[in-house]
Amino acid sequence: MRLHEYQARFQASVIEGLDSGKAEILDFVRDSPRTDRETLFRVYVDAYRLRLAEFVSNDFPILRDSMGDADFGSLVGDYIDSAPSRQRNARWYAWRLPEVMRESERWKADRVSCDLALLERGLADAFDAADMPALAIDALAAVDAGDWSRLIFVFHPSVAMLDLARGVTRLYSALAEEREAAPVDDGAETTLLWRSDDQPVYREIAEDERLALIESRAGKNFGEICTLLAFQNGNENLMGRAAGFLARWFVDGLVTQISTSE
Amino acid sequence: MSAWPSLGFGLGLRSIYYPAVLEQKPSVDWFEIVSENYMIPGGRPLSILERVRADYPIVMHGVSMSLASSDPLDFDYLTQLKALAERIEPAWISDHLAWTGVDGVNLHDLLPIPYIREALDHVVERIRRVQDFLGRRLVVENASTYATFRDSEMEEWEFVREMAERADCLLLLDVNNVFVSGFNHGFDAARFIESIPVERVAQLHVAGHTTYETRKIDTHDQPVCDEVWTLFEQARHRFGDVSAMIERDDNFPPFDELLAELWRMRDIAARADAGRSRSAT
Repeated sequence: MRLHEYQARFQASVIEGLDSGKAEILDFVRDSPRTDRETLFRVYVDAYRLRLAEFVSNDFPILRDSMGDADFGSLVGDYIDSAPSRQRNARWYAWRLPEVMRESERWKADRVSCDLALLERGLADAFDAADMPALAIDALAAVDAGDWSRLIFVFHPSVAMLDLARGVTRLYSALAEEREAAPVDDGAETTLLWRSDDQPVYREIAEDERLALIESRAGKNFGEICTLLAFQNGNENLMGRAAGFLARWFVDGLVTQISTSE
Repeated sequence: MSAWPSLGFGLGLRSIYYPAVLEQKPSVDWFEIVSENYMIPGGRPLSILERVRADYPIVMHGVSMSLASSDPLDFDYLTQLKALAERIEPAWISDHLAWTGVDGVNLHDLLPIPYIREALDHVVERIRRVQDFLGRRLVVENASTYATFRDSEMEEWEFVREMAERADCLLLLDVNNVFVSGFNHGFDAARFIESIPVERVAQLHVAGHTTYETRKIDTHDQPVCDEVWTLFEQARHRFGDVSAMIERDDNFPPFDELLAELWRMRDIAARADAGRSRSAT
């Protein structure tokens, strides 16, 4: 038998388990002086599922607390069975969990768990997003006030926004801090995530800041963003709010570069 | 004696010990990292690694190169590994004589191979290609195993010895893995160690394992047992002043306990070195 066939049979036996009838590799494995080949081979079979379950559990501790061990264990089992890992680095093995949940007849109805998974993955992504030094707010002072409307922003690689069921972000905070939370309702909320001082952070944002961020990240300048916000809600204090967003983006460390559009 | 310069006595750098390492600057000669834990875009693990690197030599130890897989080499992975090496400037890079998956799948485990000529030729060719790509010699570790194959044409130590010679790579001799595999498959661990070419060994590992009635499992979640320390002393006597470290990956003790275990390693090494000196005179 060639090396590839050994490996393909070995792998199938580990994934399917010894009771599946597919453990043909055992025909090519020796018994040991102390025990039979099945007992030793089962070390690989058991370790496979335990290791993958540990990866998922490590990446989604708040989801595990929210669902409870039994339901979370069942979800992890479904995830492991959904597809074998094709990730070289274990860091990314559990990354698809939110999508697998939303595509699953069994789990998609549990919107709170689906959205908690999305938020927890977003925070993990922010944790090890690429490095980029944040720009201090002093950089704004160096821009002539007449040029502010032409300002374009580059955001930190960790910056992301998630649309979630209303109350999920507060539920996440409550679970992380081991306190009671108000129930999640049928509405929607948007949560901004990024990394600050090496730690992932988040806050809920209102609709106008959400719009401003979407347009800014798409390369629109500050003047265009203000025009869009005015069109959207006609708020007469609009410039004050927009300037408030801008200042907070700098204070939060979201902005890494500014330039002025032509 | 090994021709490779010794870094002394090291520990695995694990996130649970970051505060202790950064604040205490402990008496550890060097740290080994799991390469994949730092093959990420950025953030805290990499910034901490750079701070540790400022004070200690670092060795990169991978678990995903899948040297023995019949799949093609993963050059995306190797490119990331090389980029990390350029950033960290490790003393060396190691991985395992094992495969982790085939046909694009990854089982995230270190899996055994049949010790057949085809596998030997395959592994030798891949180590050479990896060394060419990385621009440095690779250090290859023997893995713990729980299966041996009827068709094997040679013993594991014969395979390892010929692999190292033909690929011109270095070896990371994991003493605990020799002990675990020796127990599981009924071979003499001391004979394994005596069969490894001295000049090829760049590093020694020791670790704890879990013992069941009929098998041992390489869990890295226990203190190093007396039998493995005895084997380490034998290895130190044979290979001389080779970089050695303790792997601990679960059931983490307070850092001071790990440091105490490292002092035990130093004491045993000193005893073995004294024995070597007496033998030489």
